[in-house]
Amino acid sequence: MKVTCNRERLREALAVVNNVVPIKSPRPAVENLFFSATDGALELVGTDMEVSIRFRILGGSGVDIAETGTALVPARVASDFVRDLDCDVVVIEANGDRCSIRGGDDHCELPIIDPEEFPPIMRFESKGAFALQGGTFSKLVHRTIFAAAKEQGRYAMHGVLIELAEDAIKFVATDGRRLAITQSPLDTRSMPPRRAIVPTKGLSLFSRVVREPLANVEIQFTENQMALKARAVVLPDGEGGEPRVTEEIEAFARLIEGEFPKYTTVIPNSSENSVEAETDLLTRKLRLVANVTSAETRAVKLSFGKGELEIKARSPARGEASARLPVDFKGKPVDIAFNPDFVLDGLKNCEMTPVRLEFRDRQSPGKFKLGEDYHYVVMPITVET
Amino acid sequence: MDAFYASIEIRDDPSLAGRPVAVGGTAEKRGVIAAASYAARTFGVRSAMSTARAQALCPGLVLIPPHFDKYTRESRRIMQVFQRYTPLVEPLSLDEAYLDVAGCERLFGSADSIGMRIKHEILRETGLVASIGVAPTKFLAKLASDMDKPDGFRVIHAEQVPALLAPLPVGRIHGIGERTAKRLERLGYRTIGDLAARSREELERELGSLGGWVHELARGIDPRRVTPRRPEKSHGMERTFERDIASREELRRHLMEFCEEVAYDLRHRGLRGRTITLKARFADFETITRSKTLDFATHLGPRIYAVARELLERVPEHPLRLLGVQVSGLEDVRAPLQQTLFGEADALAVPERDQKLERVAAGLDKLRDKYGAAAVRPASTLAQAGER
Repeated sequence: MKVTCNRERLREALAVVNNVVPIKSPRPAVENLFFSATDGALELVGTDMEVSIRFRILGGSGVDIAETGTALVPARVASDFVRDLDCDVVVIEANGDRCSIRGGDDHCELPIIDPEEFPPIMRFESKGAFALQGGTFSKLVHRTIFAAAKEQGRYAMHGVLIELAEDAIKFVATDGRRLAITQSPLDTRSMPPRRAIVPTKGLSLFSRVVREPLANVEIQFTENQMALKARAVVLPDGEGGEPRVTEEIEAFARLIEGEFPKYTTVIPNSSENSVEAETDLLTRKLRLVANVTSAETRAVKLSFGKGELEIKARSPARGEASARLPVDFKGKPVDIAFNPDFVLDGLKNCEMTPVRLEFRDRQSPGKFKLGEDYHYVVMPITVET
Repeated sequence: MDAFYASIEIRDDPSLAGRPVAVGGTAEKRGVIAAASYAARTFGVRSAMSTARAQALCPGLVLIPPHFDKYTRESRRIMQVFQRYTPLVEPLSLDEAYLDVAGCERLFGSADSIGMRIKHEILRETGLVASIGVAPTKFLAKLASDMDKPDGFRVIHAEQVPALLAPLPVGRIHGIGERTAKRLERLGYRTIGDLAARSREELERELGSLGGWVHELARGIDPRRVTPRRPEKSHGMERTFERDIASREELRRHLMEFCEEVAYDLRHRGLRGRTITLKARFADFETITRSKTLDFATHLGPRIYAVARELLERVPEHPLRLLGVQVSGLEDVRAPLQQTLFGEADALAVPERDQKLERVAAGLDKLRDKYGAAAVRPASTLAQAGER
């Protein structure tokens, strides 16, 4: 195998693919990148057996294949070396048990192992796939992924539930104490309804490979995997002519098998109390008061009165604090306490001002409206009396 | 209190008065001495000594099995006396406490007279003798209470402090154990006066971080406040068996009893905990611990036992000399509780079964408080078939 490649293109591809490559694996072959040079493209493949990525740099767009072939190259060393090279063009050549990377007057020789040891990675199958704008997909991911469970032992909540039904694609994530839910219109007439729990690791990879927010990505759910295909294109220089595809990236994530909690019943429909507050102001005041809370007593109390919100917190070790801000609240004075981190997580993603909060009473979930078709439900903190 | 457990036994059986009395387990059952009367102490009998050794030192020793229920009851009565004078009571054990009476003089008179009144009230109400020390700091108060024991009453005024401390051996400083005392002696410090004669810098140079602290205490300076409820970090119970136990069924029965006991105490203290640790000691004294942390805090016997039993399965099946269980990661039951979205289905939520158990436990606690520990207990902790 012998390939000449624009260094910047190669560096970028290596950085993206390297994201999934484990530093240490019980199966050492996957600590490598699988290079495959064909007549039309250079393909870089990486996997950690849960998520996989296939990054194709198409011929003519900075890549020139002098000799086709495959090679298994140590992922870290190769990408670090290419990153640190100071040149425009890199030549990669693999022969038997050696791989050389050359840039200008500099070069390295890496020991390599038999490409046959790399596990087979699937290819994207366009049949049955649907298209979604890249930017929409990324937005749905960012709106929900932060609410997924992080701690051990809550397997089904370690991912985001994606549902395809009723002319929408819906994303739901929860850690059992808060829940983010959002959706976007999608023509689902020709598809069977589908539910899948996609691990957060896979989703952040997917949103990273979306190269062009305005271009469509293709998405495919198989029995146990989600796959996404994105392209990078360059527009033709002059009048007319077709946009030229320069990169194709396919990413795959193994789905989480498990029972996602029955989330529909916990989202409140109607609420006695509703309040609107300026998003930035609420964020600032919450953060201010949360300074006196500690890991053991991570709670802020929100007391709503006519036209005003008072935020209070106290902890034995750090003292107490309070702040006031004007809000749009009508109704009888009421209070509710939350973990400030949960509320701030939501406000960070809030796409509008004012933000709207609804809740029935201090024992019931608070429902924040953070954007169009975007809600965030947080369970309160209660004090036993 | 002076020879607390032994004094209670003597009070309840006046024929023992003046005789060497000790409370503890029997030598055959590998017992140790929990408390010794002053008559027994003249023979060299001390608490924590093995009973076998105590009986060798004092052949006429009257050995009485411990009645902890009784001691706890007396302890509560004594603590109630303290509470009449100040809310700032910091118990050190069942029979010892620091009291901060600053600011109570207008109500009850000077610290000296409060001390005297407490001593009299304890004697009148419990028939037991207390030794009392009155001083400006915790360290000095403890020292004062030990100085005239038994039946002591000693007041240390600020101006007396240097003269009083100077001749005492360094080991009398609070927190200086045998090893540190030896180290100080090697450096030429025999008495507290030797230490007080040095500057802070000198002591810090010679002793490191210990230096500054020793420097202050040697001058009678002790900034520690009387803190009524020092937050507990863990709560547990363990027992050395009369004979090594190999039977898993028997061990489980003991374990269940411990768990119920620990849970009861936690409920009484208004605490619940997350981490459960099992301690096991084999016949050869090798000791191991196994622990597990729950997703939610508990103070329920069955819940603690379920975990402890699981942990016991991870202990190699050799005969055990000692078994114990401890609950740590404690929090106040009034601590704010994060509510969960999915209830029963969620691993983080308190299981519904526990909420029911909680109501059961509250009822059982009432019975137990009224009729004693033996009134209600799990049937499976009944040891003998005949008991069932």
